[in-house]
Amino acid sequence: MHIGETLWALLKRRSVSRRDFLKTCAALTGAFGLPPAALPAVVAAAETKPLPPVIWLHGHECTGCDEAFIRSQKPLASDIVLNLISLEDMEVLGAAAGEALERHHHEIIAQYPGKYLLLFEGAVPVADGGVSCMVGGKPIAAKLRAAAQSAAAVVAIGSCAAWGGIQAARPNPTGSVAVSEIIGSAPLINIPGCPPIPEVLTGAIMHYVLFGVPPLDSKRRPLQFFGNRIHDTCYRRAFFDSGMFVENFDDKGAKAGWCLYKVGCRGPVAYNQCGSMRWWNGLSYPIQSGAPCVACAADNFWDTDPFYQRLPNINLPNTVATADTIGLVAAGATLAGVAAHGLLSVAQHRRHKEKDRREGKDDE
Amino acid sequence: MKRIVVDPMNRIEGHLRIEAVVDEAGGRVTEALSSGTAWRGLELVLQNRDPRDAWLYAQRFCGVCTTVHALASVRAVEDALGIAIPRNANYIRNIIAATQTVQDHIIHFYHLHALDWVSPVAALKADPAATGVLQNAILEKYRLPLAGPVELDTAAFPHNPPRATVAYFRDIQAKVRRIVESGQLGLFAAHWWDHPDYALLPPEVHLLAVSHYLNMLDRQRELVDAHLIFGGKNPHPHYLVGGMPCAISMSDMNAPVNSQRLAVADTSINFGIEAVNYYYLPDLLAIGHIYAQKGMTDGGGIAGKVVLGCGEYPDETYGGIANNDYYKNLLLRSNGVVENFAQGVAVAKYHDLAGADLADPAIVAEGVTHAWYSYPQPGDLHPWSGVTKPQFTGPKEGTRTDWKFLDETGKYSWVKTPKWRGRLAEVGPLARYIIVYTKVKQGLLQPTWVEKMIVDQIDAVSAVLGLPPHVWMPTMLGRTACRGLEAQVSAYIGKYFMDKLVKNIRNGDTAVANTAKFDPAAWPKEAQGVGIHEAPRGALGHWVTIKNARIANYQAVVPSTWNACPRDDAAGHGPYEAALLATRVKVADKPLEILKVIHSFDPCLACATHLYNADGEEVAVVRTDQYA
Repeated sequence: MHIGETLWALLKRRSVSRRDFLKTCAALTGAFGLPPAALPAVVAAAETKPLPPVIWLHGHECTGCDEAFIRSQKPLASDIVLNLISLEDMEVLGAAAGEALERHHHEIIAQYPGKYLLLFEGAVPVADGGVSCMVGGKPIAAKLRAAAQSAAAVVAIGSCAAWGGIQAARPNPTGSVAVSEIIGSAPLINIPGCPPIPEVLTGAIMHYVLFGVPPLDSKRRPLQFFGNRIHDTCYRRAFFDSGMFVENFDDKGAKAGWCLYKVGCRGPVAYNQCGSMRWWNGLSYPIQSGAPCVACAADNFWDTDPFYQRLPNINLPNTVATADTIGLVAAGATLAGVAAHGLLSVAQHRRHKEKDRREGKDDE
Repeated sequence: MKRIVVDPMNRIEGHLRIEAVVDEAGGRVTEALSSGTAWRGLELVLQNRDPRDAWLYAQRFCGVCTTVHALASVRAVEDALGIAIPRNANYIRNIIAATQTVQDHIIHFYHLHALDWVSPVAALKADPAATGVLQNAILEKYRLPLAGPVELDTAAFPHNPPRATVAYFRDIQAKVRRIVESGQLGLFAAHWWDHPDYALLPPEVHLLAVSHYLNMLDRQRELVDAHLIFGGKNPHPHYLVGGMPCAISMSDMNAPVNSQRLAVADTSINFGIEAVNYYYLPDLLAIGHIYAQKGMTDGGGIAGKVVLGCGEYPDETYGGIANNDYYKNLLLRSNGVVENFAQGVAVAKYHDLAGADLADPAIVAEGVTHAWYSYPQPGDLHPWSGVTKPQFTGPKEGTRTDWKFLDETGKYSWVKTPKWRGRLAEVGPLARYIIVYTKVKQGLLQPTWVEKMIVDQIDAVSAVLGLPPHVWMPTMLGRTACRGLEAQVSAYIGKYFMDKLVKNIRNGDTAVANTAKFDPAAWPKEAQGVGIHEAPRGALGHWVTIKNARIANYQAVVPSTWNACPRDDAAGHGPYEAALLATRVKVADKPLEILKVIHSFDPCLACATHLYNADGEEVAVVRTDQYA
């Protein structure tokens, strides 16, 4: 049985029908020595589950992950907060403050050992005893250590919690580290992203509530969301394969939505869901809005700058060509050994060029 | 006398601790300190990076007022490199800024501030039928009949008016009851719901406001759909030095921006107008009116003494900020300082603040006498010559890592103390409104439509409350009210620039980026620039120095540095502290009033707790410092 699961939820999961569930309740009513009139109350109790208590702590962060959380559409953040979990301690949205909140925090830990979910947003500074992030008069590192000890699981929310994030970028003046370097034995789920896509964040929480810890990769990221590179699912991928690239911002290719690889796109090395889920129900993602991906969910991506510098040459699929050699072919130079796929791409690129010439719209 | 500590301060961005001494007999706060309890050192992280990337890093100062630092950052780098952005990019940035302001203010009112006024527990006593009647009455009475210059009215009719049916309020009440009776209060746990102030509002107002709290939690995202269209994501949409990355084409569905994509942004902007006119403003004024009638207009602090703004919304593109060109066609000329507004608008004193002033150490400087940093010599420093040397001194009582009380006579915060001509100043929507109102009423401005709307709003609210502006504005209530009014103006500003964008594209101009100087080979060896922005929380400035195509120094003076700063030995208490000193606390161990006053500033601390650096010395400073 999952933590906090109701009887009805458990039976449903085991494909027990509603009729059989009610029979079970009737049997229980008898077993409890209650009169038949008490049946509705027993049914209600079996249906009303105690929600899993959740603690959400904040270290060195910008609160962008909280903002991402409340932007989730499917599921809605309100449905998660009011229906699926009991978010007992969260500084950003919770009503309580100060000593009352601190006391409640300790009560939840004492009352639900091994049962509460601990969400942690932000990096954990450890230089000089961690005095650069004090909460309730104590270093956040100490608070994280204590809360993680008896948590059912810990979720590191965002690239700061998962990898250390921006404050851990060189020269890391606060000695910030990832959550994984602080906590002991509790199961850890990393949900990187700066911030994570809202539905990746809530989807992972929902997975935990409904099915337990999701399948994870070697970096403890849910495989469901971090199994593919953005490049693999990018809607501009066809232009990469065809050798059609944005050469400068706002040029012809930029207006036509061609591949952003040459202006620094990190899609080929970024594992995230931007290409398939996109942001906000498929509305957009940076690449769709003309901005090269910065791989904000990648480990230590802040120190892979400058961001407008292109990645090293990547061979085009099924060819020995690269983005540059395809460009040369398109410009009229010759290249031996281009495979059929590449030639087709070249032909397509050339058709565009010729069309532009006819219309007097050469690239600047 | 009782010394009370509120730490963590909740429903804010970042980490804030408040300590206040309360005279239990009189309920007065006799001493208060505000401490930013975290610093992340991001200016140090920015050192030696490519200036074209600066906005990416700077944007991470804050994810709540997400994007404001990116805007200030690209403006600073463009100011340094002499880059003028295309018209469309200016319109798009203004749309992003205006919609951000609407959304940020709405989230603040409903999700960060409302629970100080409104109680889900009290909502259980409401009559759902009476709540429906009240909803309609509020819309009739408090919806300000003002509108901006909306030329292209693309919305056929209001799509999002609040529901006022009995069934709707009954359902919400039933849901809230289930939560309360389950004993698992979740977000509402452990709060002082028995505080007497919650009894000031009728139960129906509580139910109505709690319903809208939930409505807006679900809908606030739609207010910033324009960020997705133009910047690809939110929080932290993407920008570009020289303009915007979202190329425009009216002939290609694959283009980042085309007519269909513009329609998505437009729908979102229209929703913003309705969310403010049908939800936010009526709710705000209905609650505010009740509080004003009870005489609860404290928490002003130095708002009536000194307020500061930097100006926003260039109507057309401009050629630099430090050279004053930015200030030539602003729609919101809130740049300036107003002294003594509490004595009446006629006698308030206005001082200009524009381009050259931002580079003048006599006008803008920061001190560290009560902040955990040390300077090489006594006195304040202009941000250009700022120095970083963290000097954590621990608390007055307790240990370095287990505080009991901080030391108001010594250092007690990771926030520096910024000053205007040696004085402390409050920034934010209230400051902007005081400045514009003073300038217009004193005949110093021929108002733009934005400025005229602001004056009309203030006069309309004064009529509703039956109080003159200098009485209701420089208070906790006025701070919250001006934020709501500014959301209304900002919603129309978003629409105004959307119209201009559409018109300009229709005229054949699709340029969105000026890449003539994108390549560092086109840059001077050394350059410096200023970027400013009226962020939702107030005046924001970024200063950048570029040497050999790298960032040599990067500094930000942000709204919360102005408002949350520790005291200055000569200039007195910071705005948070001063506001607390002007506040009564009814129940010392349930200091709800402290939450109310501090939340009325919409605190946002992560950006305030940063480091400053002397040019070129930063690495040495860090390496030799025991706290690095």
